[in-house]
Amino acid sequence: MWNRLLRWRKLDRELDEEIRGHFRMAIEERIQSGENPREAEQNVRREFGNELLVREVTRDMWGWTALERMGQDLKYALRQIRRSPGFTAVALMTLALGLGATTTIFSIVNGVLLQPLAYRQPDQLYMAENIPPASAALPRKLLVNSRHFHEWRAHCGLCQDVALFQGANFNLVGAGEPVRLPALEVSHNFFRTLGVRPAMGRDFLADEEGGNSDKVILTDELWRSRFAGDPSIVGRRIQLIGEHYLVIGILPPNLHLPRGDEWGAFVGPPGQPLIFRPLLRQVARDAPEGSLNYSSVIRLKQGVRPEQATAELNALLADFVRQYKLQYRVALTPLRQQVIRNDRGPLLLLMGAVGAVLLIVCVNIGNLMLVRSASRYREAGVRLALGASRWRLFGLVLTEALALVSTGSAVGLLLARVGLKLFVARAPVAIPRLDEVQMDWRVLAFAAALLAFSTMVCGIVPAWRLARIEPQETLKAGAGSATEGRRKLWFREIMVGLEVALTTVLLIAGGLLMASFYRLMRVDKGFEVAHILTQEVSFFFGEVCARTGARCYRGGDGEAGPGTRSAGSGSSQPVTAVGRRVVEHAERSGRFPTSQSSRGHRQLPLRDTGLLQGDGDSAAYGTVPRSGRSGSSVGRDQRARGTVSVGQRKSDWQARARRGPAKPSLEVVGIVGDIRGKLEDAPPMMVYEHFWRMQPLAMSFVLRTPADPVAVAAGIRTVLSSADPEMAIPPASTMEQILEGSMAARKFQTFLAVAFAISALALASLGIYGVISFAVARRTPEMGIRIALGASGAQLVGMVVRQGMIPVVAGLGAGLVCSLFVNRMIVSQLYGVAPNDPFYIAGMMIILVTVGLCACWIPARRATRVDPLTALRFE
Amino acid sequence: MAKSEAYQNRIELLQGTLDMLILRALSWGPQHGYGIGQAIRSGSSDVLHAETGSLYPALHRLEKHGWVKSEWKQSENRQRAKYYKLTPSGRKHLVTEHSRWKKMSAAIASLMEPKGSEG
Repeated sequence: MWNRLLRWRKLDRELDEEIRGHFRMAIEERIQSGENPREAEQNVRREFGNELLVREVTRDMWGWTALERMGQDLKYALRQIRRSPGFTAVALMTLALGLGATTTIFSIVNGVLLQPLAYRQPDQLYMAENIPPASAALPRKLLVNSRHFHEWRAHCGLCQDVALFQGANFNLVGAGEPVRLPALEVSHNFFRTLGVRPAMGRDFLADEEGGNSDKVILTDELWRSRFAGDPSIVGRRIQLIGEHYLVIGILPPNLHLPRGDEWGAFVGPPGQPLIFRPLLRQVARDAPEGSLNYSSVIRLKQGVRPEQATAELNALLADFVRQYKLQYRVALTPLRQQVIRNDRGPLLLLMGAVGAVLLIVCVNIGNLMLVRSASRYREAGVRLALGASRWRLFGLVLTEALALVSTGSAVGLLLARVGLKLFVARAPVAIPRLDEVQMDWRVLAFAAALLAFSTMVCGIVPAWRLARIEPQETLKAGAGSATEGRRKLWFREIMVGLEVALTTVLLIAGGLLMASFYRLMRVDKGFEVAHILTQEVSFFFGEVCARTGARCYRGGDGEAGPGTRSAGSGSSQPVTAVGRRVVEHAERSGRFPTSQSSRGHRQLPLRDTGLLQGDGDSAAYGTVPRSGRSGSSVGRDQRARGTVSVGQRKSDWQARARRGPAKPSLEVVGIVGDIRGKLEDAPPMMVYEHFWRMQPLAMSFVLRTPADPVAVAAGIRTVLSSADPEMAIPPASTMEQILEGSMAARKFQTFLAVAFAISALALASLGIYGVISFAVARRTPEMGIRIALGASGAQLVGMVVRQGMIPVVAGLGAGLVCSLFVNRMIVSQLYGVAPNDPFYIAGMMIILVTVGLCACWIPARRATRVDPLTALRFE
Repeated sequence: MAKSEAYQNRIELLQGTLDMLILRALSWGPQHGYGIGQAIRSGSSDVLHAETGSLYPALHRLEKHGWVKSEWKQSENRQRAKYYKLTPSGRKHLVTEHSRWKKMSAAIASLMEPKGSEG
């Protein structure tokens, strides 16, 4: 490089000498032919032409002038930037924010949606699910049956491995505070199927499944946090669920196993599983028509297409389907898709929104640069007249844009780093794999592409305009200043239209999301939310009962303690409900699975209206939800068909599923209103039965208190831990907190979308304002003439606003059309609002038009203050 | 007035043609830039003028291609001047360019002055 520079210097000197030699020789010759020296020199100069230009084009031939020019252009650009700190500050700030936000969101999209899962050949992994017939008013996907799994594992030829698992909660005692940990019970080949090997110790063996195995495998995280990373833990026993378990292996770090709820609905607790234990059931002996309580992950053989495997999995069940008239079919979902299914839509929506905002930012800067370059037309004319090439002018403006954008981009990358850290640490969204997100080369490549793109958008139009100038016209004194044709503005107007169109789309989407959020907050949950405290507890039931003898929690369960109004308990909390679903084949109408049961005892305090029918205090009862006010067609249908009525006896599906000794059938003693599970979903069909019929390992107390429920929490904790000091008691939470938690992700997404929409609106109004005030400034003499001829202020304002609103209205129309398509894409994230709800669309349009009018009106007012005398003298 | 008429008699040179003329001028021996310009002018009886704005870029371009080489020498009136010299590959290039030009001018001539319609 240095050598090159030296050589370049030398060449430059030589060229100089060469040209001087040329002059000398030419002059000498002319003098010899009889001209006087002065005349000779003049003639030679005229003949030679523009000496500088000759040098310039000759230097071009050396081929490295591009570099030199870029240096010059950059210097010039920086000088320009320094000269207008206001513009630079605004441009840099919006660019940095836009680029930073876009890069942040892309980092998340990249980590969550684009990177493969951290297992061996993750694309071969699929989840098996049961798809019920569409008529069955059930969730679209159900879990699988353990007996079916047994068939698959034994006979599936296209599968490399088939694993089964089920979520669980284990209480860990004896390693710090008693704590309840999310866990998975897995078939022995679970880790082999995923392609994961323990980092220490060994995997499960085939004969450890189905017996009463006492082996467990721990995750690296649990091992480090609870056992201080002590390698001697392998081979030692730890106390779980009241028994001693042998640790046989530790999993490798950074495994990123999906959390329980990411495997599918109702698989397990929402935390990341930390303990693994072999399945206790002997799957070969399970009932093939019974419960659908398990999840199955399948690794297909290399090159097998999922359709082929699906056909085989279904064919293996043909006998069961015939014998038990099963209505559901098995389907495969790629594991990756399963893990990110809920977050794909929102993330892509955010990506689109932030991209649109960035585009508006760039268009705005392009617009501002265009305005600024208009004041440089004369300079450009002089440059052209002196022999600058149009390309050179073009490059000059583009360099200026590049300097701006790359500075903005550098700041933006820093912002993105910080933003990403904040997002991962603080965002109230449980996005799967979020902990895997980081800025890798893909993100940097994306940022670079973004930089190039933004430079183009910012710079290309101003550059083009400046390079196309006709020097004669701009150099004519006062050219075209009396009146301004519309022709020169149309670029800016198209840009304004583009901004407005993008803003329209963002505003409408943001408005719909906000409306969905609002509707969801106000949805009928089936119970009064205020003054409810929930306290989860878990224990090894038998042991606790044995130890505490006759008390056995019965006293604490149903009876209202001091300070509480009523109490109830259930196997899962409403709203976050993750209960086990048991799918029953109803006896009479039993063509398809009809109900899912959750067990509860007196969960009814939730609903003050209580039972709609029947007797609430009966010792053992089951209830089937009737359609409440919120209206669930399921319940209505069921009632209409008369499958359920008070006093009716139903056989105990649980007992049947287990093929155990027949328990007495259940009697329907009452019917209660619907209680929501997830707020977005229709209320699930629930069967409540007496708590003590089951022996759950965990339950949550639900207490309705007359005063602040938080005040009661401490008392409950004392009562519980005095009953059993080894019991894991997570912090109690009020129903409001639970609701808030379940809405947090949506709230956050809505917040971001609305924030983007508002920034878009602000930027677009800035763009409109800029264009109109520029047009007004250019037309000052014209305004003066109009005022002198008697135009009133209102007329002038009307004219400016009318002309200013043309691109706004055009953009609005274009935006509306785009919005129709965009809204169709976000329909899955809406709740209770039609994607093209005219009310919200009209509302957003009114906002936009109002803002547009204001942005036009302010500069238009300035037109009326023109003093005709000054304006015309300006001429 | 006379000047502008003289100007009209000149013919703008196409780039490829200029290259060929420069190479041709150099085939008689090394020459400096001014000399080449004069040679083209006098060789064409004052019809062809190599503008300096085209001549020097062309020389530097030809040098970059390796068709000519330059060295600093004393000129006949004992001044330092940059002399250009034809290289072997430049000579080869001149031959191909020449035959190409002959073909083209014959083709243009046959189009402009068809034999049958003459007279």
